[in-house]
Amino acid sequence: MNALDIENISKKFGDFYAVKNLSFNIHQGTIYGLLGPNGAGKTTTIRMVMNIIIPDEGNIRVLDRKMDEEMKERIGYLPEDRGFYPKMKVGQILLFLAELKGMKKNVARERIDSWLKRFDLDEWKLKKVEELSRGMQQKLQFIATVIHQPDLIILDEPFAGLDPINTKLLKDIMLEMKQEGRTVIFSTHRMEQIEMICDNICLINKAEKVLEGNLSRIKKDYGKNTVVLDYEGETNFIRSLPEIDKIDDYGKFMEIRLKEGTDSQVLLQKLVGKITINKYEVREPTLNAIFIEKVGDKDEKNLISH
Amino acid sequence: MRKILSVIKREYIQIVKTKGFIIGTILGPVLMASFIVIPIVVSVISVGQQERVGVIDLSQEIFEALDKKLDHRLKDGSRRYLLEKYEISTDPEVLRKELSQMVLKKELSAYIFIPKNISEGGVAEYVSQHVSDFDKLKNINEALNSVVIEKRLRKEGLDPQKIAQYIQRVGLKTIKVTKKGEEEDTGGTFLISYLLVLILYMTLFFYGSIIMRGVIEEKTSRVVEIVLSSLKPFQLMVGKILGIAAVGFTQYAIWAIFGFSASRYSKSLISSFFPSASGFKIPSIPPYVFIYFVVFFILGYFLYGTVYAAIGSMVNSEKEAQQLIFPITMFLVVPILLMMFVMRAPNSTFSVVLSLIPFFAPILMLLRICVLLPPFIQVGGSILILVLTILFMIWLTGKIYRVGILMYGKRPSFQEIIKWIRYK
Repeated sequence: MNALDIENISKKFGDFYAVKNLSFNIHQGTIYGLLGPNGAGKTTTIRMVMNIIIPDEGNIRVLDRKMDEEMKERIGYLPEDRGFYPKMKVGQILLFLAELKGMKKNVARERIDSWLKRFDLDEWKLKKVEELSRGMQQKLQFIATVIHQPDLIILDEPFAGLDPINTKLLKDIMLEMKQEGRTVIFSTHRMEQIEMICDNICLINKAEKVLEGNLSRIKKDYGKNTVVLDYEGETNFIRSLPEIDKIDDYGKFMEIRLKEGTDSQVLLQKLVGKITINKYEVREPTLNAIFIEKVGDKDEKNLISH
Repeated sequence: MRKILSVIKREYIQIVKTKGFIIGTILGPVLMASFIVIPIVVSVISVGQQERVGVIDLSQEIFEALDKKLDHRLKDGSRRYLLEKYEISTDPEVLRKELSQMVLKKELSAYIFIPKNISEGGVAEYVSQHVSDFDKLKNINEALNSVVIEKRLRKEGLDPQKIAQYIQRVGLKTIKVTKKGEEEDTGGTFLISYLLVLILYMTLFFYGSIIMRGVIEEKTSRVVEIVLSSLKPFQLMVGKILGIAAVGFTQYAIWAIFGFSASRYSKSLISSFFPSASGFKIPSIPPYVFIYFVVFFILGYFLYGTVYAAIGSMVNSEKEAQQLIFPITMFLVVPILLMMFVMRAPNSTFSVVLSLIPFFAPILMLLRICVLLPPFIQVGGSILILVLTILFMIWLTGKIYRVGILMYGKRPSFQEIIKWIRYK
């Protein structure tokens, strides 16, 4: 069964297409990455799945049912813009949100207590939200997202602004949900997060789908034509070598795409002696490289700055 | 519906717990009681000061009579006005200058200049630094008036014994006639109408602002999208408006209990403290006034509440909201400015038309009902117009709200809002 089926959805704001003719399917029990540069249409897509924005065209089916208000109870949603009523107490706000998800009060109370305990927030239950640190509020947002044991979890830019500890915590929750057979969808513009945990991805750029499918298969399709070079020294000469198709230079680290039919060992020989080589690895391209190629160089800056 | 109930409950509990609500609920009746009690107390307990008033009497025949007539007493029994006659030795203008100086030095609080021809239509002058104490001016004017008229009548040869009887003032008592009969009204209708309308005005304004602030808070705290992952924007808006309405009813209920117990005891209370105020009578208010009051509060609340919710969803901060609120505030203030007019001519065409305009109707129709019950067709008509306007506003606001609440950044222009309304 599919957790989510999106068929040809489009949304226009005025004359501007936020999402154009987008389709993809997500299998149950997988982690799905929705990626794209800022403004690509990720949040609009997610809001349409959540029935917060109504698509102009197309169909959305969630857990094999047409998406409607009732289905919201089976979805856990962490929006990109997230916060709480600052004057409410931690326990109250969680209870309120759990009630909105259709939970019975006593069940909700029990589960709130166990989650608060797990995240070391049980002593804060009677404190007002505004008294909590940012990190604690983020934990609270995770709890609110999964408190009703949703079958589908949708996270919009979940890692934005998280410290390393909460990043790990969230990643653990995502994997735990997957193991329990739940489906996780998350959007991001940071490739390393996708590579770590995603089974499948969909790359959106300028409102349209650019690439979709199983992550390892996508990489395989690109083949082992990428060299990752960890180096020291002057590298300007490399750009003019005939074997080179494309270079992403990060200063101490370089991702090189070779021209088709090129032997990576020939390149290695040309480098030896001219620069210090700490590591020379032949591998599949990183998602970052694929992304940049697909989205185009003019969006590159946008990406690296994040 | 269950979800709307959860939102209503949350709104209600969160607001009822705030200090603002508790203070407002207690302070409201105190404030209102002070509207009634303070003027009475002030008029009753103000002892006042004795004032020295100089008199230049060029006619040479007024001073004694005026001194006798102007016999107002202060609380302690001494005379309020102490008249001092200044004889003209040289030029009257010189004397006037001297007296003006004395007024400036506060040796006299005022002086009265009586011209020679006072009995033949001459005009007296009252010279003081402070000329806006109407009570004092009235006292002096009346005393002077009756003294001069008495003089004239005497000159005509009328019997001095009977003159006092001839020039006695005619009183005018106001009686309000209702279906139940006649009842003397010492300004009570005016007071009650004024009070009810003022309560309505303040609460509409107050609860509207609470709705708006709530919407802005949901936006700025970024909680709104989390809530929308469980319900529709429209449900959230309706829940908020109903929850705050429940707060309003709670407050009214508390005030009503205060009010009824106060009106039961207030008369005996006031007269036991201030026996001289016993002439004041609290008029009996027909029950339909209260029913209409509740009806027009509900209608006004939903009309203004939806508008305030829409404004809250359009802006990013309360500061930004201030500019947008101004026209709405005008809609509430205009009827207050027109109150006096409508009270004086409740059935004039102008009043009828005004009280049918939906944004004025809650306040002005209620006012007309208090003053003089209009024909049912007018009351029913204004209720119908209000209900239709509210339905339209809920539809319109729902459209604006569902887009606005997810928009951050620049405040939308009018054209953008039109676009929002057109979105699917």
